[in-house]
Amino acid sequence: MKVSKWSEKLFGTPLFEPLVSFSYLFPLLYIVVFLIIPVLAMLAIAFSHEGHFSLYWFKSILTSSYYVQFPPQGDFAIKTVTATGETVYLIRGIDFGVVINSLVVAALVTLLASLMGTIFAFIMARYEFKGKNFFRIALFIPLLVTPFVNAYVIKKMFLDTGLINYIFYELLHILPFRIKIDGLAGVVLAQAMTYYPIVYLNAYASFINIDPTLEEQAENLGSKGFHLFRTVTFPLALPGIAAGATLVFIFSLEDLAAPIVFQGDPLAKKLMSYQIFSKFLYGLGERSPEIAALSIIMLTLAVLAFLGIRKYVSLRQYAMLSKGGRWKPRVSKPKPWQAAIIYVVLLPLLLLTIFPQIGVVLLAFSKQWSVTVMPQGFTTEYVKQMLFNPDVRRYIINSLMYSAAAVVLIVLLSVTSSYATSRFKGVLTPVLESLVIIPIAVPGIVVAMGYFYFFSQVFPNTPLDPTNIFSFNPAFVLILAYSIRRLPFSARSVYAGLQQVHVSLEEASMNLGASRWKTVTGILLPLISLNVFGGAMLSFVYSMSETSVGITLGSLNMQYAPITAFMKDIMMSAAGSAQLAAALGVLLITVQILSIVLVNIITKQRYAFIGLT
Amino acid sequence: MRKLVEVKLENIVKTFGETVALKGIDLHIKHGELFTLLGPSGCGKSTTLRIIAGLDFPDKGRIFFDDQEVTYLSSSERGAVLVFQNYALWPHMTVYDNIAYGLKIKKLPKDEIEKKVRWALQLVKLEGFEDRYPTQLSGGQQQRVAIARAIVVEPKLLLLDEPLSNLDAKLRLEMRSEIRRIQRELGITVLYVTHDQEEAMAISDRIAVMNVGTVEQVGTPREIYEKPKTEFVASFMGKTNVIPAKVVEREGDKVTVEFEHFRLEGLTYTDKSDKVVIVIRPERISLHPIENAVKLEGKVDLIEYYGFFIEVVGMFGETRIIARTISDKDVMSLKPQGPVTFYINRDDILVLPKQL
Ligand SMILES: Nc1ncnc2c1ncn2[C@@H]1O[C@H](COP(=O)(O)OP(=O)(O)OP(=O)(O)O)[C@@H](O)[C@H]1O
Ligand SMILES: [Mg+2]
Repeated sequence: MKVSKWSEKLFGTPLFEPLVSFSYLFPLLYIVVFLIIPVLAMLAIAFSHEGHFSLYWFKSILTSSYYVQFPPQGDFAIKTVTATGETVYLIRGIDFGVVINSLVVAALVTLLASLMGTIFAFIMARYEFKGKNFFRIALFIPLLVTPFVNAYVIKKMFLDTGLINYIFYELLHILPFRIKIDGLAGVVLAQAMTYYPIVYLNAYASFINIDPTLEEQAENLGSKGFHLFRTVTFPLALPGIAAGATLVFIFSLEDLAAPIVFQGDPLAKKLMSYQIFSKFLYGLGERSPEIAALSIIMLTLAVLAFLGIRKYVSLRQYAMLSKGGRWKPRVSKPKPWQAAIIYVVLLPLLLLTIFPQIGVVLLAFSKQWSVTVMPQGFTTEYVKQMLFNPDVRRYIINSLMYSAAAVVLIVLLSVTSSYATSRFKGVLTPVLESLVIIPIAVPGIVVAMGYFYFFSQVFPNTPLDPTNIFSFNPAFVLILAYSIRRLPFSARSVYAGLQQVHVSLEEASMNLGASRWKTVTGILLPLISLNVFGGAMLSFVYSMSETSVGITLGSLNMQYAPITAFMKDIMMSAAGSAQLAAALGVLLITVQILSIVLVNIITKQRYAFIGLT
Repeated sequence: MRKLVEVKLENIVKTFGETVALKGIDLHIKHGELFTLLGPSGCGKSTTLRIIAGLDFPDKGRIFFDDQEVTYLSSSERGAVLVFQNYALWPHMTVYDNIAYGLKIKKLPKDEIEKKVRWALQLVKLEGFEDRYPTQLSGGQQQRVAIARAIVVEPKLLLLDEPLSNLDAKLRLEMRSEIRRIQRELGITVLYVTHDQEEAMAISDRIAVMNVGTVEQVGTPREIYEKPKTEFVASFMGKTNVIPAKVVEREGDKVTVEFEHFRLEGLTYTDKSDKVVIVIRPERISLHPIENAVKLEGKVDLIEYYGFFIEVVGMFGETRIIARTISDKDVMSLKPQGPVTFYINRDDILVLPKQL
């Protein structure tokens, strides 16, 4: 073999080796072609007006009071009196215009989720109390994804006749009047309840990883109570908390489920994600470049948040300085007032946040749910429909197939990219590292729009062209979208696995005369198979519940639509049934629980959800 | 407020699950003393320190600072400041903020805090490092920040857990005398932990030698070195000859002991047990005749040259005994496998009950 300057520079190895080059180039090109270029295609459209480069669409968005409105319009709460003489406060939020609303909602959701996540994480990391195991399990429940139905149950909870009023107004008389939460306020609540465990998991890991002697030293110098928390504990956990919070910010920004469920109130529609979605779906044929411009604005916000946090976290990655110190976790019994908070405030809060998932299960087995606190009447009709109706079955099979195909690609992508980035240090290494993680920061709806413009222009009048109304087959596009969007889940896991395997094992093998191919397949892959499996399962599960691309591009031809597109249809249409959607939600929950339990049993590791770093 | 504090531990017992870390420790540390806990790894030094600092609480026993019982007083109220074995520097604070932390808690005015921090930085020779973060410091520098952070609050009791373990030899000697100087200047009581007997000897007013959760002996460095009370203490205080032997005759507190085919008469020993060890420091063995000494005849196994001294390892039957001399003349006539005679004053032979 001869020495190659190029190989050394790009791939970090002076010998040109096909396998190494492939490991770099395959994931690199794949992400460039199927993520970066589609986004650029959209960029090109957003920045052109009447054939020229122009900021026209951005100007038109940012100067229209529909998108940006100061001062805000509307009343935060409206008081009404019912026929029976009861006071009801309707809380919907106020309207700053679509773009600012999205920011305000995402910021509020992030704030609420961070508060709740951090508090739960702190008590779980630092206190030993009765029922802790229940807390531990319950805190995972909100992470079970049931697109639409979850938000639907939350909406029901906050109706004037719903669970919240039943408990706090009718039973406990804590509320002096009934409340009804709708519109943007409803979206904020639904998202905060769904996403706070993401902060919880990140914050919990941070609290647990703080070297106990750091807090002991502060105590020893006279600090205690809240001062100790403020000066030492919290700052040390902050990078983790901030990483979780950023994920929540991005997820809230891109979320479609909550706005769609709350769309009965027009205010809930005034969010960027919903606007892109509805303009896309009902614009038919002539989709205005305004959508592209709006997508770019949303993408910019998400990417800025993402890059900001990566910078911040990498600056403050406190490799704990501990040397030889004994690791004695700081857990203590809560003082009486702390126990009171745990049982009187946090426990009920936790129960409320897991109610949506419980509600989904109840709903799947009930005849109806109109204005009552709980769904009414028991029936297995909808579960039967889900299992035996050929149409419904088709959606399930579509989703299973697309997800399985995506997982194959994801495994290939994550193994190659992780191998390249963990073993070689070329110019391309940091590039690839960023590319693999960047899909987290790209909202699903942006991917969908990017694909729309990309495939309609590059493959016009083929089954890949979304504007080709009668013969568009979304299968290929969906598989691509899933493989890109869920890649970070798996890549992280595989990368972690590779870091555990010392390079010397491979070097020994190559030194004994084995080829690189033989070394990778014979030594490395078996050693990281559990990580590959864990990552693959996670990617599969989250592909099954993928929403944004599924309900946009996926619903253009219902013959080939995935399960989430169908769920959206039956939730939105008057003739549809929330119960059938709930039954499908139960199916998804079951798949998620089974997979996670399976992964935890087989890999003996705790896989839960993605972090950011 | 008087600064000097006197510390008393009464029968401190501490267990961690199955391990008994401390098996009933009694200590009395006097005002303004530099007192050292010396012992091998895992003997309970850090545990003792943590209990005195109020970071762990004993299962049994009591602790007094002067006449006040503090056994269950929380660490933040105790004023016994600990420098952790792993430094425990806060990675999110600069060197300056680390050092200023304790002063801020005391709510000192800003300019006074600044003055004191500068003083402390100067003391540990880290001027100019105040804006760095701990990750940007070497191990030794981190250790010095930890010391500065503790000293700056002028604690009434300073607890140091192997504070010099990460410094190079030269800096270690410097810091050692610095600590000594600071301690005298500020008049604080210092409890110092180390597993390095030489360091302990050099720095301490008194030493407690610990072994698996017990205190074996307390005394001045000289007492501990010259008159170890147990086999463990003897063997822990530097290189020494510890030879298993048997008491074969007793007369009052004089005994005759035997090892191999050697009989050593007229040694002092009072314990009841007949299984003993005889302890002889290598530098107390003479290679040339002295009056009235015990004479051991054997053969040379090894001669080792250490620079400023020479060691002769003799074989006496199966027993190896090391003698140390600073005189080349003593060894000139010796050669490996050749005969050698060791002369030892009876006063330099310690007989202790067999223990290990
Ligand atoms: N938190 C703990 N949990 C369990 N065992 C502990 C704990 N802390 C100390 N021990 C045990 O107690 C004994 C004494 O430990 P300690 O840390 O006091 O030793 P040390 O003398 O400071 O040792 P070193 O010189 O290595 O620092 C050891 O056997 C140790 O394993
Ligand atoms: Mg220790």
